Amino acid sequence: MANENNRAVNEFNQQVKPVSLWADAWKRLQKNRMALAGLWITVLFAIVGIAAPVLPIADYQKVETDFINLPPSLKPAGEVALSEASLNIDRIQSRIVEGRNDLLPALEQAKASYDKLKSDLSVKSTANNVYIFGTDYLGRDMLSRTIYGGRISMLIGLIGTITAVLIGVIYGAVSGYLGGRIDNLMMRIVDIMYGLPYMLIVIILMAMFMKEGSSSIFILFIAIALVSWLTQARVVRGQIMSLKNSEFVEAARSMGASTARIIFRHLLPNTLGVIIIFATLSIPSFIMNESFLSFLGLGVSAPLASWGSLVKEGADRMESFPWQLLVPATAMTVFLFAMNFLGDGLRDALDPQSKNRA
Amino acid sequence: MAKFIIRRFVSLIPTMFVIITLSFFLIRIAPGGPFSGEKNMPEQVLANMQKKYHMDEPLMNQYLRYFGDVLKGDFGPSYRYKESTVNELIAGAFPVSIALGSMALALSVIFGISVGIISALRQNRWQDYTAMSVAVIGISVPLFVIGPILQLVFSMKLGWLPIAWGSRRFSEVLWGLLPTVTLSLPFFAYIARLSRASILEVLRADYVRTARAKGLSESVVVAKHVLKGALLPVVSYLGPAFAGIITGSLVVESTFAIPGIGRVFVESALNRDYTLIMAEVIIFSLLLVVMNFLVDIVYGFLDPRIAYK
Repeated sequence: MANENNRAVNEFNQQVKPVSLWADAWKRLQKNRMALAGLWITVLFAIVGIAAPVLPIADYQKVETDFINLPPSLKPAGEVALSEASLNIDRIQSRIVEGRNDLLPALEQAKASYDKLKSDLSVKSTANNVYIFGTDYLGRDMLSRTIYGGRISMLIGLIGTITAVLIGVIYGAVSGYLGGRIDNLMMRIVDIMYGLPYMLIVIILMAMFMKEGSSSIFILFIAIALVSWLTQARVVRGQIMSLKNSEFVEAARSMGASTARIIFRHLLPNTLGVIIIFATLSIPSFIMNESFLSFLGLGVSAPLASWGSLVKEGADRMESFPWQLLVPATAMTVFLFAMNFLGDGLRDALDPQSKNRA
Repeated sequence: MAKFIIRRFVSLIPTMFVIITLSFFLIRIAPGGPFSGEKNMPEQVLANMQKKYHMDEPLMNQYLRYFGDVLKGDFGPSYRYKESTVNELIAGAFPVSIALGSMALALSVIFGISVGIISALRQNRWQDYTAMSVAVIGISVPLFVIGPILQLVFSMKLGWLPIAWGSRRFSEVLWGLLPTVTLSLPFFAYIARLSRASILEVLRADYVRTARAKGLSESVVVAKHVLKGALLPVVSYLGPAFAGIITGSLVVESTFAIPGIGRVFVESALNRDYTLIMAEVIIFSLLLVVMNFLVDIVYGFLDPRIAYK
């Protein structure tokens, strides 16, 4: 009999296996190739981010003065640095051939530093380091900086989303369920906060609590979370309002369930789809906001790195060392792409009616 | 309709009140003052400075004084640039930003809607796929990545366009091309997706089928019947788009070294130039609130059901 319990009968009296919303959504998601690719890329980024401390990569804060601004290469750093130095000598030599005799002392200097580098590297073990994505202006490994920067960016995205979802869900659910005057007041507050240019408020908060040019990451979390729950609250409120007069809520109420129980056990599980869609789509927007602040110099500060601060550092030096911009920018863009495709796919899967909406 | 406009207008007042109050107190409770950056300032000088700017009075008095001044349109002296008032600083930077922002908004609306129409009418063909791939790039890639990469490609490698404000190698117009395109890209992308989706929905609506059944040509159906219904979501997106352009211009102005109000804002936030920060927050909010108001009114005209809700 137990087996028959989870079998349902359709209108033609055939036994069918009931498909839950989640199984159905998973099936739809699997058909969406882009969303699936987005899912795997996101998982890959998450694993690399979590496992960063045990991965065989260089320390992201380690400064190597011998290996400043090395281009991406699969060869050992010693070789790359020497070939860069000899390229430099060639460059000066060809300018001297063109008639720039004032560069002769520079040539001597370049040759001397080439010899010094050669003798230095013969005794140093770091000569065998491989920097497949090159190094930055302090000789730090771009690969590990990008990975650790991604860790911070993804963490901020995650924490921001969790906070926004918690505040937004509770606020929206209470407002929508209670209705009437309280709902009116609570939504007026949301409306007014919507009118605020919230990125500007975050900038002010970050600038306010900045000490000697460095700001704490904790303030960044709070500032971003404080202003980001509004949309979630509105969406959840709308869902709750449309559900609260349905029969199952009436049944729960007639059996004496408390308001909190009705909200948390009956209403919220039914809005989970919307909440998940919002959460997935808001992670990339948090990451963008964080990077935006870091780009302006108001976010994560050295020696910590985030994708935003790495892009900023790279953009300052892109003319001579384009890889310092392109490596973090590509990592960030791929992740944002993946998250956006995953979010769109989840929306189509969990809420098929919304398909084709922008 | 008039009632709707008045009701919407009155609701602007509490928003502006909250903005002014919030920004005033937020900044005043912050640790460190506008003079804390100056090392070794003698106590007497500091006291005189604070007296000059009325910072020795009780907070409430300062607040009321500030509120009154703002209502008169006077944002006071800048704490950091002592020779100029906030009004002068903003008046100098504002026109540049307004030009940049409105060009970007116009560009994104015009191109966004056109691309949206083309994609919707050629759904699931190569035009649609190309346009929507570009749109996803526009949405996913942040402004501060697009800006430097466009600079790298078009100014440094190809040398076609000036890299920043002031380096006017070509004509006067060209300096603005890269920043405008950069700033408009995300909004263009969003509007293209939005209008594509809403046109697809409207194309299946009954009144469109009726129009076709009357024997109207396809171009008339699209131009007269589809567009009006499909543009509503785009109109309501203009408010958020405007807010996004304001914050986006902070990044674009710093990337392209444009002496606009966005750069002044970031600098004043870093300098803790109280009066300047507050003035900018208030002006940005006012712009935003007025824009939202206009959008609501336009929406009310396009869809009268809203006004009578």
